[in-house]
Amino acid sequence: MNFSLFLAELWNARMSLINGLGNTVLISVVSVLLGSILGVFIGLVMTYGGWFTRFSVRLYIDFLRGTPVFVLILACFYILSVVGFDLSAFQAGVLALTLFCSSHVGEIVRGALIAIPKGQTEAAKSIGLTFGQTFIYVLLPQALRQILPTWVNTATEIVKASTLLSIIGVVELLLATQQVISRTYLSLEFYFFAGFVYFLLNFVIEQAGRAVERRISVP
Amino acid sequence: MTFLKTMAVAAVMTLATGSVMAQEASKLQEVLDRGYLVLGTGSTNPPWHFMDSDNQLKGFDVDMGRLVAKALFGDPDKIEYVQQSGDARIPNLVTDKVDMSCQFMTVTAERAQQVEFTIPYYREGVGLLLMANGDFADYAALKAAGDDVTVAVLQNVYAEEMVHSALPDAEVDQYDSVDLMYQALNSGRADAAATDQSALRWFMVQNPDRYKDAGYAWNPQSYSCAVKPGDQRWLNFVNTVLHEGMTGVEFPFYAASFKTWFGEELDVPKIGFPVEYK
Repeated sequence: MNFSLFLAELWNARMSLINGLGNTVLISVVSVLLGSILGVFIGLVMTYGGWFTRFSVRLYIDFLRGTPVFVLILACFYILSVVGFDLSAFQAGVLALTLFCSSHVGEIVRGALIAIPKGQTEAAKSIGLTFGQTFIYVLLPQALRQILPTWVNTATEIVKASTLLSIIGVVELLLATQQVISRTYLSLEFYFFAGFVYFLLNFVIEQAGRAVERRISVP
Repeated sequence: MTFLKTMAVAAVMTLATGSVMAQEASKLQEVLDRGYLVLGTGSTNPPWHFMDSDNQLKGFDVDMGRLVAKALFGDPDKIEYVQQSGDARIPNLVTDKVDMSCQFMTVTAERAQQVEFTIPYYREGVGLLLMANGDFADYAALKAAGDDVTVAVLQNVYAEEMVHSALPDAEVDQYDSVDLMYQALNSGRADAAATDQSALRWFMVQNPDRYKDAGYAWNPQSYSCAVKPGDQRWLNFVNTVLHEGMTGVEFPFYAASFKTWFGEELDVPKIGFPVEYK
């Protein structure tokens, strides 16, 4: 392994790698945000919905969780454009990851909500809170403590799944790295470097999650 | 009477199809109106299509697209590149994500059923790359060694068959990308890398004295651009551009590109009787 050659090539390629990293972060942040919003909604429906909506949403969750992310990405890119929604590769990829994220967050939220004893909802009702108020002031604060650790896990999964967008031509960190490798042939060095960057990214996310966990934990 | 009827029906159908075809807007007009060409190509396989150190797409495939853009707009840079993996070449054409794909696409009958190929712009062959200081001197030594030889090859439906037609007993290891294949050769995990003559030549020029060519080439295959089926006008246009690049007014463009990526100076097409009918 020629270390100084690697450093020189790394410096040459810094702009394309930084752009790739920027795309990876953008894809992950947008997918996790949209996926979480959709996921909370799904979790609520799963907990409080009628049997028919619960059944349809259950199908949605099981279908998405039972499908490889790779297949989801290809489906969003190709099948949607056959039907007439012509999404760019970036949009299709973000859509696929958002759907994937929402199904996981939905299950997390549902689990957290049903773990809260029914007596609390009844107590809230008895002091005259509406459902919205019950949810925001009674259930959500408790559920959040349950949700956070697994939600952070999902976020790191999405960061890793974003590498699959390289297949449909989104130049995120992995594809940017592969482009550099194809020019320099330093495959081990650059793959190792990319792996390290992904690790750093996820390490930061996990540490941030832990910090929030500590802050909101009940003493 | 029956014969006449059949002829009449056939004539009417031909006319009807013809007028439908004429009414349908061609991709050619669409691209001209849009003002730039959407070219599908890869970004990880030099010298065909790769990112140079300025993060610009370069390579022989890219130059073929630039040739078409130059013919359309008088400006080879009027291209929007769609970077696609090899697997995405056909789906991206069929779903109209790209106007055409130039991505070292081997012409096969199976693929020709799904997309329409242009005339070929390169004839590829396979060669064997060896380490200059390796255990095997040349092709004869590799063949003599039988199943003691491991050959690294780029992943492909025909990869195993392809290697075995030159080295019937060799072990075949398939790799996802060219760099991994070279890595296998460097690390000794493979004794030879079976790779395209074009890539082999380009790689040896970049790394003088480190590798050698086993001196045997086989498996001719044509590289063509591809377009979505059913648009004869657009196909004819691209064909004309490529043809004139190889034989006519755009020969200097084609020849300069050929020299850059394959290191070979092409002879000017013979003036007088057209070379293609020799």
